[in-house]
Amino acid sequence: MARPWRGLATIAALGVLMPGLAARADSLNFDMSGKIYMKYMYQNDNTQGCLSLSNPFWRDNIGGHNGVCSEFELNIKANVGPKVTAGVRLQSRWGMLWQDWWENGDLKPNIAYPPNSGDTSGESLGQNHAQYIKLRAAWIRMGPPIPTVKWVTIGSTDYSMWNEWTIGKARYIDRDNGNGVFIEGGLIPQNRLDYTLGAMALPKLWAGPGWNTGLSANEPLANLYGTDWAFAAKLESRPIDDLRLKLIGSWTQDWEADRYSPFLTGSPDAARCDTVGCPDHSTKMATRFRGVNTTLEGFYTPSWTDLFSISALGAYSNNYVNPNYATNLVRNGQGFSPVVFKTDANGNPIASTGLAARVDLEFYDPFKIGLSPKFEYFNIGSEYNAIMGARREADVLLTDGIITGGFTRGGQLPTLNVANEFQDWDEPWYETVIGWHGFTTVLEQVVGSTKLSGEYSYVGYNTNMQNRDTANQYPDFLYTHGFTDTTSYTADQDYANVYDRGKDPRSVYDKYQARHTHIGVLNAQVPIATVWSPLLNFKVKYVFDRDNRNLSNPKDDYIGRMWLAFAQITVQPTNELKVFAGYEYSHWSEDGRNGSEAAGYFPARTQRHTARIGMTYAFGGVLAGYTVEYFHKNLLRDPVGGYFNMIWNVWRAKGTVEVAW
Amino acid sequence: MNVSRFRRLLAAAGLLTAAFSLPALAENEKGFKLSDPIGDDKGPGTYTYPTDAVYKPGSFDITEFEVVPRGNETEFRITVRARIEDPWDSPAWGGNGFSVQMAFIHIDTDHKKGSGVQDGLPGTNVRFAEDEAWDRVIIVSPQGAPRVNSEIGLKAAQWKDKIIVPKVTRAQGKTLIAVVDNAQLGGPPQTTWGYQVLMQSNEGFPAKTDLLTRKVNEFEGQHRFGGGSDYDNDPHVMDILVPPDGDPAKKQYEILSKYNHNTKEPKPEDLAVVPMVYPHAGK
Repeated sequence: MARPWRGLATIAALGVLMPGLAARADSLNFDMSGKIYMKYMYQNDNTQGCLSLSNPFWRDNIGGHNGVCSEFELNIKANVGPKVTAGVRLQSRWGMLWQDWWENGDLKPNIAYPPNSGDTSGESLGQNHAQYIKLRAAWIRMGPPIPTVKWVTIGSTDYSMWNEWTIGKARYIDRDNGNGVFIEGGLIPQNRLDYTLGAMALPKLWAGPGWNTGLSANEPLANLYGTDWAFAAKLESRPIDDLRLKLIGSWTQDWEADRYSPFLTGSPDAARCDTVGCPDHSTKMATRFRGVNTTLEGFYTPSWTDLFSISALGAYSNNYVNPNYATNLVRNGQGFSPVVFKTDANGNPIASTGLAARVDLEFYDPFKIGLSPKFEYFNIGSEYNAIMGARREADVLLTDGIITGGFTRGGQLPTLNVANEFQDWDEPWYETVIGWHGFTTVLEQVVGSTKLSGEYSYVGYNTNMQNRDTANQYPDFLYTHGFTDTTSYTADQDYANVYDRGKDPRSVYDKYQARHTHIGVLNAQVPIATVWSPLLNFKVKYVFDRDNRNLSNPKDDYIGRMWLAFAQITVQPTNELKVFAGYEYSHWSEDGRNGSEAAGYFPARTQRHTARIGMTYAFGGVLAGYTVEYFHKNLLRDPVGGYFNMIWNVWRAKGTVEVAW
Repeated sequence: MNVSRFRRLLAAAGLLTAAFSLPALAENEKGFKLSDPIGDDKGPGTYTYPTDAVYKPGSFDITEFEVVPRGNETEFRITVRARIEDPWDSPAWGGNGFSVQMAFIHIDTDHKKGSGVQDGLPGTNVRFAEDEAWDRVIIVSPQGAPRVNSEIGLKAAQWKDKIIVPKVTRAQGKTLIAVVDNAQLGGPPQTTWGYQVLMQSNEGFPAKTDLLTRKVNEFEGQHRFGGGSDYDNDPHVMDILVPPDGDPAKKQYEILSKYNHNTKEPKPEDLAVVPMVYPHAGK
């Protein structure tokens, strides 16, 4: 008999040691972090919710202007091994008001659908108001010993490895809703040639015709979104140290089941064989949508001089929609569509293709007097469209653009799929640049602590065309004329509002368009050398927008002029507290703003006064912010055309508190 | 517009520019400018950038450091090899117009033993020699001043009086600019002062031991530098200034490699010692 006591002793020793080892493994391998975010919203109206602009289409019950909400996030990251990490993010769902108290996520039978429902029970508002914790991200990253492969990532990511023109980085609230498999590697050392490959699940919503990828409501027989993927590849090279090249290609594929497949049609008789064919427990696939986008970018930063750098981008897109599987929302949805339904002369569906180019030249104080010029040329084809491109929180052009104001920031994106929803009144707005052709020149002057900048941009439009088919092929988003007030939404159909009407920033095409735009902007940032170190910000902007519309109709011209003046002072009374106060005046004078070719066009004049005060306070890891705004707006329109005047007197506030640990 | 009117406008514009610019040129003569080699943004020679696309090559590669005294204030300028961008939309979080970079400018005002702070700020994992300890440090961060001050209060409260959050922090082209009142420096810059700039990256969600700094790990991650250690014994800086003798890049790699590679719970003496650079020494 061997010596059993040895085995017992070993087991006993392991029993003593194991808890210790396990505890150490826990502490080493679990990197946990948490965050609480709270938001308070107020506006002098009767809406309730914690989000200024929620889903513009399917009304939900989290959008509204009065309420307080809380959110909790827990991140856990583990170092599984030397080259393997994994992580998850757990987060509470947004939308429960503090006033909701005991809502449990249930819905009693027969209760009216939100947003107007609600009773005294805890079963009246549904999951949106239950603050349930949801798995928002799960990923594994490893570096396997495979030639050329550096990293393989499986699971959630924000798609930030591509670019705005192909597959864009997901917006912050969607930052790891996307899942896929990604491989990063190097073919030639020293970053001379690196590659990234990815296969990504498409979102059920927004990434296709009708902002979906095939739902039962659209395709009761054939709907299928579980097989929809985007594939992408990136090659990055530094052939010489001063030059960086990046080639990206993406392919977005939305499949449906072939609705004529015998497996889907006919009676459920296993022995059935009809004229179409025999059901063999397999289904053919049909393309509902296919999008191909490619870009080639070059960045030249010379090491022999610090004076300038130059970059250039060329892009190509090809989008095909199969109208047999995608409802034509140009025809049947008042022109609301993120894709063009292009057809040939015989009415057969064909791909919509577009090219785009951008060249940037930036000088870095070449005269050593603090003056830095920048130049940009851009030419985006009339049908360039990145269906999976960045939808917001990015900016592909140098210009301030049309949409940006004083308080309101924004940017320009090469997609019809811009997302100006699920956001608050103080957040940026984005406009599409499809069809833009022009240039921007910016001069930046630093004089001591003062920074001055001036911009002039000219935008012509590749989308200019007479008698464009906006009835069947090109989405016009119903209304396409005039400036947009991005910060006040109204049910009035002529302005951006909860129904996405008005001159929505996605509007690209018009039946008759002969348009050009001039943009001029002056900015100044002036610190004052006195107590509390005040910082003054000034902005003046002028936009001239002319659209001659139907060239055979001299009375339909649109001429829009927008003047904007903005001033803000920021002071810091204590280390923890920063306070600001600002005022913005804007005036839009628009001839031919409202109307139609048949009924004629009528002018509109808009004046807007906006005042804001606010503060940020940070102490001991807690960050707090509070902003109050009042705006008064007058919209004067021509009663002859049947239009009425409107007035706004709006008070609103937003407060946030967050702490992370 | 006729030609003479255009000429008058041009002359006026030139005079205006000159009026603003001449004082700057004159003041510049009292300051100094240091160059740093291109391509040494590798810490001890092994560090790599995070994999996310926002970390463009050269973003943390210091090429020039300039001190420009101007009246009662001083402008500090740190130039890197890449255009400084704002991919995370810093105005949305009260920031200063850039997102990715962050730098610490350490100043030794007396060059004496027993004076100043030898420890690096939390998250940098470096220290200074006894006779080159820092007396002031300027934090050049894209985060708004309240957030930076809050982090200082949490993680470096003992040095609060020596840490300066600039009254103006901004980016222009490839240059980070920080404007500081001379009173906070203890007076205008002197020719005897020494400087050290540590180039880091802004981390909005830092570990509780890090003052808004991004970690260096053994392997790079989407938002982590690679090429170091998973513990806090390695210096978490991508580029530094080095004294102007010999091969500066090689010297930097040597300096930042001298840490205790074998410890997982480092003590101060395990960390790399970074030198001060005295631009006017020997002049």
